[in-house]
Amino acid sequence: MTETLLEVKHLKKYYEISRGLFKPKLIVKAVDDVSFSIKKGETFALVGESGCGKSTTGRTLLRLTDATSGEVLYKGEDIMSLSYGEMRSLRKEMQMVFQDPYASLNPKMTIKQILMEPLRVHKKYSQEERLKKIIQILEIVGLSEAHLDRHPNEFSGGQRQRIGIARAVILNPDFIVADEPVSALDVSVQSQVINLMLELQKEFGLTYLFISHDLSVVEHMTDRVAVMYLGKIVELAETEELFKNPKHPYTQALISAVPASHPKEVKNRIVLTGDVPNPTNPPSGCTFHTRCPFAMEKCKSVAPTLTEVADGHVTSCHLYINNKEETSNAIIHSKV
Amino acid sequence: MIGGNTVSSEILLEIKDLGIQFKTGEGTVQPIRGVNFSLKKGETLGVVGESGSGKSVTSLAVMGLLPEKKSKIVSGSIHFNNNDITNLSEKQYRKLRGNEMSMIFQEPMTSLNPVFTIGELLSEPLKQHKKMSRKERKETIISVLKQVGIPRAEEIINEYPHQLSGGMRQRVMISLALLCEPKLLICDEPTTALDVTIQAQILELMKHIKKEKNMSLLFITHDLGVVAEMCDRVVVMYAGEIVEIAEINELFDNPLHPYTKGLIDSLPTNNARKSTLYSIKGQVPRPDEIGTGCAFANRCPHAFEKCLEQSPPTFLKGEHLSKCWLQESELQGVIR
Repeated sequence: MTETLLEVKHLKKYYEISRGLFKPKLIVKAVDDVSFSIKKGETFALVGESGCGKSTTGRTLLRLTDATSGEVLYKGEDIMSLSYGEMRSLRKEMQMVFQDPYASLNPKMTIKQILMEPLRVHKKYSQEERLKKIIQILEIVGLSEAHLDRHPNEFSGGQRQRIGIARAVILNPDFIVADEPVSALDVSVQSQVINLMLELQKEFGLTYLFISHDLSVVEHMTDRVAVMYLGKIVELAETEELFKNPKHPYTQALISAVPASHPKEVKNRIVLTGDVPNPTNPPSGCTFHTRCPFAMEKCKSVAPTLTEVADGHVTSCHLYINNKEETSNAIIHSKV
Repeated sequence: MIGGNTVSSEILLEIKDLGIQFKTGEGTVQPIRGVNFSLKKGETLGVVGESGSGKSVTSLAVMGLLPEKKSKIVSGSIHFNNNDITNLSEKQYRKLRGNEMSMIFQEPMTSLNPVFTIGELLSEPLKQHKKMSRKERKETIISVLKQVGIPRAEEIINEYPHQLSGGMRQRVMISLALLCEPKLLICDEPTTALDVTIQAQILELMKHIKKEKNMSLLFITHDLGVVAEMCDRVVVMYAGEIVEIAEINELFDNPLHPYTKGLIDSLPTNNARKSTLYSIKGQVPRPDEIGTGCAFANRCPHAFEKCLEQSPPTFLKGEHLSKCWLQESELQGVIR
């Protein structure tokens, strides 16, 4: 369990926006110096609001978009330096499940063709074995042989997501990036798909990078969580620790914003004011200071760095960099 | 937490035995069958159900927005403010819509016309329903925008919807609905497209406004957490029928219909971490797949012969309604 499968070091992905010939280009720092590592067999979650860079991070790990700089070590090998062909063959070990099951399956292909494609591309098994393998995987995800010649439009959202998962799992990968796999699904179907993912993980020893904005799902099925805000990781901890003891004001607000599960549950809600700032022009210093209830003078000018507050629990916030006395003063002061 | 504290016993909206038929290429389907409920003045009534359960169609029927050529109200009636509005002409409906009842839609991106400025959009209901001078209109618009927490309202009225963020657009939608101070506000998944932190802001805002203006809210959502926070009473819909109506605490503490129980039990927060989530088997049937028996019978863990043969009537237990054969035998016995 402690073996590291994937290590991300100082990953950056900048997008340039052209504003015409003579104006300087705008730079959007979608992912800005992100580092983390994923252990073998664990489920690592990336959470944050839309536009925080969590999906971009997931895609750059598989090199579906190329990173601006940084290293991604998969089983000790830097995949950023691989050639196109090498990367392509490595993808049999690294697969992705997409958010929208309506957009991620080719409507002109039958289920058989959709599931055959990865086997064909990676030249696995003989022709008959492939078909056997496809039927086997369909049964694992809760569909059957009868569905082989149907097209995606004949399936419901939940079934499509099962097909998307089957397509990712059929090559026996070690690592799966799941980008919001359940957020497009209905409540009763959502729990079915989560169960399927948990089962598959046990059965095949999969490692997941689970990208989601739904904190109750994240709390249920992940081992460690990284919280992102405007392209940076602001807090990273084990799931239970993070939900019990969130440190960064953003994480605290995010967790408190989750709707109650019972009408009698009283929530001490921190309602953040304002929206996520424009990523082309992020605030100076700590990027969260414009919405932070505890913002100090220092936060406006100096960007905090990730510091360890407990074993395996890091956060980037000035509240935890100073000594304890100053910290409590800051909180009391800002509450007045 | 219950939103309103001034629920009167006066009924504002009453739907009796509503049935709606749609024409399709192959004949007719009836996605809404025998829907009965009422909404009191000052009350927030939640309508919960998955996609395809008919919650949006019901709300469109109340607003008189069903597609004219394709659909027909085949049975029942809708009473609003003691008037029968089932068969109102388009002209008569126009006097109601935006004036006495208004609606907030799910997608703030698509429900605002992109070619008009916010000011132009917001002046439309006022031109329709109120006799006001240009100056008065502008003042009203700015004051409503300020009420919903939009900063620099004087400038925003000259901007276009695409210049605003999702949360801001939803605030504009809310102000649009509030302009004429309606008695009834229908919210169709108002926060589904928003991030959790923004969702928390919007929910707080709606609670506040409802209290201030003493409106009735019909709150349509699939998110039980949002229901738990916002509503006084809840209607649970499944496949075009109402399966359960109860007071909010009663519904969460003592759900009677197996579908409601299933929905509550499948919330990740109600399951032990990493365990297999409780899930309802199968999926919502299409309107043309519903047979003679109970619509939920094929997914129900308690289904017996009678369920497959005969559609259950609505059983009443105090104020708690449920449409399940189990209640028949258990009227004198224990429940759960």
